[in-house]
Amino acid sequence: MKLLAKYNRVNIPITIITLLITGIGFYFIIHYVLVHQLDKDLRIEQEEIIHYIKEKNSLPEASNYKDQKIEFQPTNDKDFKTTFSPEDQYNQKEDETETFRKLEFLITVNGKNYIATVKKSQQETEDIIQLILVITFSVIVFLLLVLFIANRFLLAKLWEPFNHTLAQLKHFNLSSKNKIELQKTHINEFEELNETVLFMTQKVKRDYESLKNFTENASHETQTPLSIIKNKIELLLQSENLDQIQINAIQSLNDAASRLSKLNQSLLLLAKIENHQFENAEKINFSCVLNQSIENFEELAIIKNITIQKNIDENIFLKINDSLAEILVSNIILNAIKHNFQDGKLKIDLSLNSLIVSNTGDDPHENTEKLFERFKKDSSSGDSIGLGLAIVKTICETYGFVVSYYYKERMHIVKIVFK
Amino acid sequence: MKILIIEDEKSLSESMSAYLSALDYHCDIAEDYNSAVYKTEYNDYDCILLDITLPGGNGLKVLEQLKKDKKTDGVLIISAKNSLDDKIKGLNLGADDYLSKPFHLSELNARIAAIIRRKRFDGNSVLQFGNITIDTQSKAVTVENNQVELTKKEYELLIYFLSNKKRIISKEAIAEHLWGNDMAGNFDFIYTHIKNLRKKLMDAGEADYIKSVYGMGYKFTMQ
Repeated sequence: MKLLAKYNRVNIPITIITLLITGIGFYFIIHYVLVHQLDKDLRIEQEEIIHYIKEKNSLPEASNYKDQKIEFQPTNDKDFKTTFSPEDQYNQKEDETETFRKLEFLITVNGKNYIATVKKSQQETEDIIQLILVITFSVIVFLLLVLFIANRFLLAKLWEPFNHTLAQLKHFNLSSKNKIELQKTHINEFEELNETVLFMTQKVKRDYESLKNFTENASHETQTPLSIIKNKIELLLQSENLDQIQINAIQSLNDAASRLSKLNQSLLLLAKIENHQFENAEKINFSCVLNQSIENFEELAIIKNITIQKNIDENIFLKINDSLAEILVSNIILNAIKHNFQDGKLKIDLSLNSLIVSNTGDDPHENTEKLFERFKKDSSSGDSIGLGLAIVKTICETYGFVVSYYYKERMHIVKIVFK
Repeated sequence: MKILIIEDEKSLSESMSAYLSALDYHCDIAEDYNSAVYKTEYNDYDCILLDITLPGGNGLKVLEQLKKDKKTDGVLIISAKNSLDDKIKGLNLGADDYLSKPFHLSELNARIAAIIRRKRFDGNSVLQFGNITIDTQSKAVTVENNQVELTKKEYELLIYFLSNKKRIISKEAIAEHLWGNDMAGNFDFIYTHIKNLRKKLMDAGEADYIKSVYGMGYKFTMQ
């Protein structure tokens, strides 16, 4: 759930309840005050009537105005208590029920007891209360509307730095050179968030850089001693009259040095691709690269009597460094030939969207999803160091290609989808 | 023929010098920038092997100086960096070829031979071994006027052998030379190529010069 929705879910009911409670409270207070005021007026009338009787010793005239009525009724109840009460009266003329405030009290004129009734219309009070209710509800509606708009626009704007930071983090790529750029914000919390994000990403990047540099430097520094070992082995090989023990030793040395050297070169290549040291990505004719690579390995296929079925669209241009394109293609094709059967099949399809290389070969042994991981190799492939497909994958990732492997209808298929 | 090895790592320059001297090259060694500049200035070499990372200065500057002096020495850049930048820079500055460490001495020698062929004879050289004649311009191979039809890889293999006559060439070196890849220890392909090359040469009437040595490599020799 979005923060805004969560916030609204709490905020809107609370706002409505608060406004309703305030409205109801307001209603009762206003009602009380107005009725109290009306009662005061009725008291004044009462005093006037009593005063009149005292002066004139007779009943004042009854009156019947629209908003004030005075009546007298004889009574035998000597203990009648002064009471205030509401009274509804039906008004025929206006076809509505009017509420009156009624004051009844006992008066004595010439020894006769009367109940005096003074009524005042409560209509105004009712009107005011109605108005208050209308205002209250209007305010609720208006407030909700304002809240809605505020949430929609103001909050979206308030959260913008946060969303921007989030978007930057989502696109954050350790191996990419792009720096994370955060928006300046005046909101303390976001400012603090940005500072933390910046600090952390820089730290992570620094650590990653130094690790990468270490790998690269280590590989570089290994090159020269490796060269010395390999060259000395080669010189040793030229010696006359080597005995079998020496030959075996040289052979083992040579194999080990070759593997080490290959491993080193592959790791260095991976580090370089990830370091974006193959910058000059120009549009190159990928069809040409592919055809050249096939030509390079064609004789190998002939030796194994592999049937090559080519379906290569001409002039497919891709934005990729030419060295990497060559490495990519040759790794895949060489794999497809090396792991192929005698008299096997090799199918190469290149279109605008994809390169698909399918070949016959032994059934896959292990989890094929792990094929692109470093140092994963099919157990049967002997001295292979298992970096070929990892290199393919890294190159593809660098250029946003999607590479996949599957085994279908007894064919190993490597598919690269360009975007 | 004279070769200058500019390399600060003594073991490496010694190995190169030992391998090349056995092939009748005369080798000079320069171990730092200054002696490299000095030696290139006062001598002419058929080929200069230039390590880029040198004590005292960048190897590429030696190359710049050479070109400034309008020297025509062949230059083969050797770099531990295997960096594309260095390669492009070096070739743009007029180097003839580029080789990254670690390399096989037989590969180094083949590259030197190719550079010298290009420099000396404008690529128009004819190689001769026994009764085999190779016109490197037209890539035509003949044995006593019999045309030998070789595939591209067989031709490259033959040239490689001729550059490293009487030397034992390891299978890895051959694989890397032919395919730019060590073939992950799968040398059946090389065996087949060599078998085919040997058969074609012998069918054309030539003796069998390709000897398998110790099961580790091959040697192209008269004996």
